[in-house]
Amino acid sequence: MGEQPLGFELEVPFPSAREARIAWAALSADPEPRGRGISRVEELRLGGGTLGVRWSAAEARILRVSVSSYLDHLGLVLRTMDAFGPPQPGSAQNNSA
Amino acid sequence: MTVVIGFEGSANKLGIGIVRDGVVLSNPRCTYITPPGQGFLPRDTAKHHQERVLEILQKALDEAGIAPHEIDCVAYTKGPGMGAPLVSVALVARTVAQLWSKPLVGVNHCIGHIEMGRLITGAHNPIVLYVSGGNTQVIAYSQRRYRIFGETIDIAVGNCLDRFARVLKISNDPSPGYNIEQMAKRGSFVELPYTVKGMDVSFSGILSYIEEAAQRMLASGECTAEDLCFSLQETVFAMLVEITERAMAHCGVREVLIVGGVGCNLRLQEMMEVMCKERGAKLFATDERFCIDNGAMIAQAGWEMFRSGLTTEIKDSWITQRFRTDDMEVTWRD
Repeated sequence: MGEQPLGFELEVPFPSAREARIAWAALSADPEPRGRGISRVEELRLGGGTLGVRWSAAEARILRVSVSSYLDHLGLVLRTMDAFGPPQPGSAQNNSA
Repeated sequence: MTVVIGFEGSANKLGIGIVRDGVVLSNPRCTYITPPGQGFLPRDTAKHHQERVLEILQKALDEAGIAPHEIDCVAYTKGPGMGAPLVSVALVARTVAQLWSKPLVGVNHCIGHIEMGRLITGAHNPIVLYVSGGNTQVIAYSQRRYRIFGETIDIAVGNCLDRFARVLKISNDPSPGYNIEQMAKRGSFVELPYTVKGMDVSFSGILSYIEEAAQRMLASGECTAEDLCFSLQETVFAMLVEITERAMAHCGVREVLIVGGVGCNLRLQEMMEVMCKERGAKLFATDERFCIDNGAMIAQAGWEMFRSGLTTEIKDSWITQRFRTDDMEVTWRD
């Protein structure tokens, strides 16, 4: 879509590039629920250790709802990594019978 | 040996279950309960799930006696359901799948109910009546699809019951449907619209009618709340029995399986049992541990999918509010 009048940018540093990538993959899988009037782009920056998120929106209300929801989701991902991390190395094979 | 952990949170119930080769090792769950007269909204439901999900996850692992490295696959509800709650739960599933380096499987909510129903009851190839707050479908398996033979053309039967409970300000604890069921035991019949349409059903007219009747007849003392609960159940359950019987006749099937939250209702089971007996068929139903949305049903369907070679890439793991039962190819059955 074309350029929207309102924008917001967020940068979130992570302890490691691996953790940043995990958060990026988890959060970027879902598009904005109501695509009309807002867009969101996520990318990894600064050698992969920082998650960058950029929003463009037509209205302040839509932008605020989206950013607020995203921060809730980011908080949940961080709490999940705290509670059930650190990341384990990839298993060569599953123990499927 | 294959161990799957399943994450479910498509409506107001949040559950995480662990299944290993047909055995449910754990299945903790919690329910977001709103005050009488109110339904649950997506944003508040998602907030509830976000607050409770990690606690339930830890409980599932502890009760199963399973460590993350012993898990082979992470399954989650891809849809259908409420958007924000689905996302909240999928985020955790995606995160732990990456933390533990395990494959991910996106499961259809309805197929979760069917596979758990088949596992628990041993039903082989039944006509499935799937009835809940969000879904009402008559399903038969054929040529690698769970095919929808009949369904609601507007609101789910459970939605109709739940919204009627709101009108009467019935408690939502443990569930409005359960409380309607208890009140119905003390009621007598009031005529309501009967709206079967071939293989399909419609509940919105019945809901409007009984909402109006509740205002008018209760004010005048013409009938009691218990009478309306009884009558609503008798009417909507008879409709469900009729479309199920019609599907049985079309398919020549002698087994019926009821799944979904409304499947807990003993009166529905009783009415379906009567019809099945008359047709020389067998009825299968599960109890509230598995009828109601739970994580183990997602783990079980995930187990079947994973063992047949299906996984979901993280980039394809978006949730969808609409996910038709017949959209999924059933690669794990003949």
